[in-house]
Amino acid sequence: MTIASTIIAGTPVFGRMFSVDKSTGLEEINAWPALMIMASFIWLAVAGLLGLVMPATQMFDLDSGHFYTTLTLHGAALAFPFSFQLMVGVGLHRSGGCVGKPITGWLPAMCFITMNLGAALLTVAVLMGFKVSLVVMFPLPLVGAQMGIWSMNAVILGFTGIYLVLACMILLYPLLGLSMLFFGKKRQDLVLSERSLNDPGMLGMTLSALTLLIAGLPLVVVGTTLLLALYGVIPMSMAAWAAEPVVFQYCFYIFAHNLMEAMALMVSSAMYATLPLYLADGTRKLFSDKLANTALWILLLTSVTSFLHHFITFYPNQPASLSYWGNIMSWGTGIGAAISIFTVLATIWQHGLRAEPGIIAVLLGWALYILDGASAIVTSNVAWAYVLHGTMWQSGHTMTVILAMSLMWMGVLYHHYPVITGRKLDPALGTWFVRLFTVGGFGAAIAMLAGGAAGMPRRFADWNQEGWMVYGHMIMIFGLILGASFVVYAYNLLQSRDLNEAMGQRVGAT
Amino acid sequence: MLDFLFSGWGAFWVTMGMLLPFAGMFWYVIHRKSVVDSGPGTTPRAAMSRLEGYWLTAVFVIFVTINLASLKFMPIIATARAATAGPPVQEVAVTATSWTYEMSSRQVETGKPVRFSARAKDTQHGFAVYHPDGRMLFTMLMMPGVSKPTTVVHTFSDPGTYKIRCLEYCGIAHHGMKDELTVVKSNAAT
Ligand code: HEM
Ligand SMILES: [Cu+2]
Repeated sequence: MTIASTIIAGTPVFGRMFSVDKSTGLEEINAWPALMIMASFIWLAVAGLLGLVMPATQMFDLDSGHFYTTLTLHGAALAFPFSFQLMVGVGLHRSGGCVGKPITGWLPAMCFITMNLGAALLTVAVLMGFKVSLVVMFPLPLVGAQMGIWSMNAVILGFTGIYLVLACMILLYPLLGLSMLFFGKKRQDLVLSERSLNDPGMLGMTLSALTLLIAGLPLVVVGTTLLLALYGVIPMSMAAWAAEPVVFQYCFYIFAHNLMEAMALMVSSAMYATLPLYLADGTRKLFSDKLANTALWILLLTSVTSFLHHFITFYPNQPASLSYWGNIMSWGTGIGAAISIFTVLATIWQHGLRAEPGIIAVLLGWALYILDGASAIVTSNVAWAYVLHGTMWQSGHTMTVILAMSLMWMGVLYHHYPVITGRKLDPALGTWFVRLFTVGGFGAAIAMLAGGAAGMPRRFADWNQEGWMVYGHMIMIFGLILGASFVVYAYNLLQSRDLNEAMGQRVGAT
Repeated sequence: MLDFLFSGWGAFWVTMGMLLPFAGMFWYVIHRKSVVDSGPGTTPRAAMSRLEGYWLTAVFVIFVTINLASLKFMPIIATARAATAGPPVQEVAVTATSWTYEMSSRQVETGKPVRFSARAKDTQHGFAVYHPDGRMLFTMLMMPGVSKPTTVVHTFSDPGTYKIRCLEYCGIAHHGMKDELTVVKSNAAT
């Protein structure tokens, strides 16, 4: 048994959902991914509940400090140790099986440790009062300490946590992904379904790893400088350039924006790889690989510079030309989306679909992602940015993009689950998960967009004015439905039955 | 009509206008090809390619039209224009500090452009102006440490009390960071 399987075996409840099948000789591509997926679900359980606490603090008029605490924890935990880690887990298992290479050694272990330890440190810091929201709002961390709202220790702890999480996302995970693709010897016994780089499934993964690495480097440099200064290794004066709000914010969004795009590339490629397996006529081919790859390239090229849309309302500090550029590039990603809409629907139209819960979850997650994309390009238009920036519209967009990708990964996981654990899921529960998630996900997204349209501010502990509470109630109701869908999914994993046993029963019954 | 389109609710309906046709197509294709008849499609490849061409052209044309129509509603353009020529401008200088605004004036007139020049002193802040009917007219993002103030030129048409709110999260009392602006009827204009 590897360390990873041992940790899973020793974890109560969640361990049972993800215990790895040892009989197939595939433990080397299953154990670390299963551990990461398990950890991601633990974060989801905690932080999902915090999502419900947010509207609750507003409805029951609790202390506003609780709202900002939950806001920070909810956003940070769901974006990084849940969604990103789920992607890493499922993605690594997938790439291991495509290239026939084991996921063992220090790199996956370090990925796991930096992500979870980092997120845990950040959690402790937030509980110590470090309420900076998921996007840090630099220089708020330092100003808050100067004003005595939180301690300098909380700042140092929080930054250390963020730094570890970034190290996982920007350095360790892309290196692991790229090293698996390009180095090491292929082992035939680990190959589950061989793929080459011409395959949209593999292309997306490679582009995604490179994007994280390149777009993240400026933030790593700035973050390292700041952290060294916070620890007193270099004098603060040497870090002054990195502590310039403009420098920090631009480096932050070059990364954060492209992180979302990289995750989108990755999950789109997973969809392009999974959809053909569920075609009714057994052709296992997309309508056009070339079109699918074109969509990925357009998404990549237009997204790199579209982060400029985050600063449209900063004019004239961000020159108008850059804002227009961000506007145009953002709508360019919409062209990529239009191509992928055509590819997916044409593929299904020409080949028919075997509608199983896994692939339906992937497709509905993708549909939610298209809704999110529409809301994103709209708010990237210079005129609309001025009336939507800073409103609940943006929270709706942030949450929906992550939610959509998570649903897609949960669908892909549904597909791979039998290979990882040797157990079978109940399709009826799977269908209920998809139904509830669809209602909850689309409902919450539309409620938040509507709140934004009505001018309801985001990250704002006072919804009880101007009639905004209506949207708060809607978020609560759809949030409860969303929560129920996760419970159903988790229950399905918990009660999954041994493949052999399930087969045996069926044989016995006939 | 265009005025509505480029407001918050206009954005909402444009987004729904993209979602609904997509959702319809999505449902139709998946339902038809998984439940009704999952057999291979008989549409010839050439017809599919034609369809692809129509679809991408339509999307492209719609995208370009929306963005061209939006030009008139970009505050950046009004702001740049006011910087060069045009009628005399009323100046309002704003300094935001956690969690209050210092403003050179809290009263302006209708019909005459107002230039809001805003700076943040300690951390990032916002400056959003809400119409008395609850609509947000515009918001600005300010960061400390930059040389130029963040600027918007806006011409008010309705007198009344306008609410000002900070829309960039700035710490535990962020929701209390607000102010008011009084817009009065211009005595020169009428
Ligand atoms: C269980 C139901 C959920 C509810 C009721 C809920 C509620 C909320 C609310 C009210 C906000 C907006 C806070 C604000 O800006 O004022 C928010 C933000 C957010 N949510 Fe959720 N949420 C839920 C589930 C999720 C899930 C499953 C994810 C991720 C997969 C997620 C990710 C996010 C993110 C990333 C933000 C943005 C935080 C920020 O911008 O600071 N949420 N959520
Ligand atoms: Cu503020």
